[in-house]
Amino acid sequence: MLDRESTFKDPEIVRLLKSRFIPVAIDQAYQRRQKDAEGEFYRKIAGQGPRNNFQGTTQGLYLATAGGKLLGFNNNRGGDRIRRMMKKALEGFRASGAAVIERGKVDARYNPSSPEGGMVVRVQSKILGGYEETTDRWRKIFQGSLSRDNLWVTKAEHDALVAGRLLPTLKKRIARYHLVDNTRGEPPMWKADEIRSLELSLEDGRLSGTVHLETTNGKRGYKASLLGRVEKKNGRVVRFDLVARGEFWGEGTYTRGAPKGRFPLAASFTLADGSDIADGVPPQGSRGWVRGYLRQ
Amino acid sequence: MNFPGFVSALCLAFSAVSGLFAEGLSEAEFQRLHKKLQVSGEKPWRTIPWKISLLDAQRAAVSEKKPIFIWAMDGHPLGCT
Repeated sequence: MLDRESTFKDPEIVRLLKSRFIPVAIDQAYQRRQKDAEGEFYRKIAGQGPRNNFQGTTQGLYLATAGGKLLGFNNNRGGDRIRRMMKKALEGFRASGAAVIERGKVDARYNPSSPEGGMVVRVQSKILGGYEETTDRWRKIFQGSLSRDNLWVTKAEHDALVAGRLLPTLKKRIARYHLVDNTRGEPPMWKADEIRSLELSLEDGRLSGTVHLETTNGKRGYKASLLGRVEKKNGRVVRFDLVARGEFWGEGTYTRGAPKGRFPLAASFTLADGSDIADGVPPQGSRGWVRGYLRQ
Repeated sequence: MNFPGFVSALCLAFSAVSGLFAEGLSEAEFQRLHKKLQVSGEKPWRTIPWKISLLDAQRAAVSEKKPIFIWAMDGHPLGCT
């Protein structure tokens, strides 16, 4: 969230990325672990930087040649340092004549694909109010942020929607992994027994219902109403629009800084059409355990 | 307040509180929020031609003779972080 509205808002950095670099965005929790060509290439680059213990995070911005030589590393935000790093790297850069690395056999655990015959739904969430006013630049960014994740729907769930039915597995997945406050970072997902109530039905193409999610200690929760539309054509779902709106409370280890008390949080769901590169990103809730995410 | 009056007041108070969640979303609110919660394609970071595979980036770097810029985060940078 912070990089988007700081480093990647800088016009010169954006210009350089479009014209002089090949930009790639990754969740390094995958690449630093995966045992395949992509993982090896990432570790080769990151291993030359200060974050070379692959048991922990290697988060940061890396500049590298196609041969894997590190040209620069920075884990700070803001335009100046990154702009300087990019320019310095370009000054010393010579295309090395490196060969293309063949993908070979991929580490399946870290290369999940969206379910064949299913669908991908974009999920975006936003806190609608409740923050205290601030002049802090970074807090302001968090306070206005709109999150993005993807919901994966299996073929069986898709086909049931076409037939006018909403399978319990899809309902639970929506609740556990996608009705979360992920507007300030990686959120805690809901455990199965934290679904206190979940009523979501599909009738004549209309989705409607309510949900109550709450941790055992009551410190984090969400009570919301849901409304949406499903449309089909030629045996495929062509519209899946859903909105949840309600009161959220609490925060997670990596989502500190939530508004105090209860605050309004909304989430929107929209069928992805593949036009956005982010449509190809696996759901955050599937990280490391896709089968568990899909099984419910 | 007599007993029937007390019960009426209690019912009113209860429906006001429970209405926060039970009244549901109106069609207009659904439409408004669904439209509001869409990412703008005009945001600068979204105009950058990100790839999401490091090997795809390496292949492009070879063919275009450019260095690679890796945005590596905890959680996917195009997602929740």
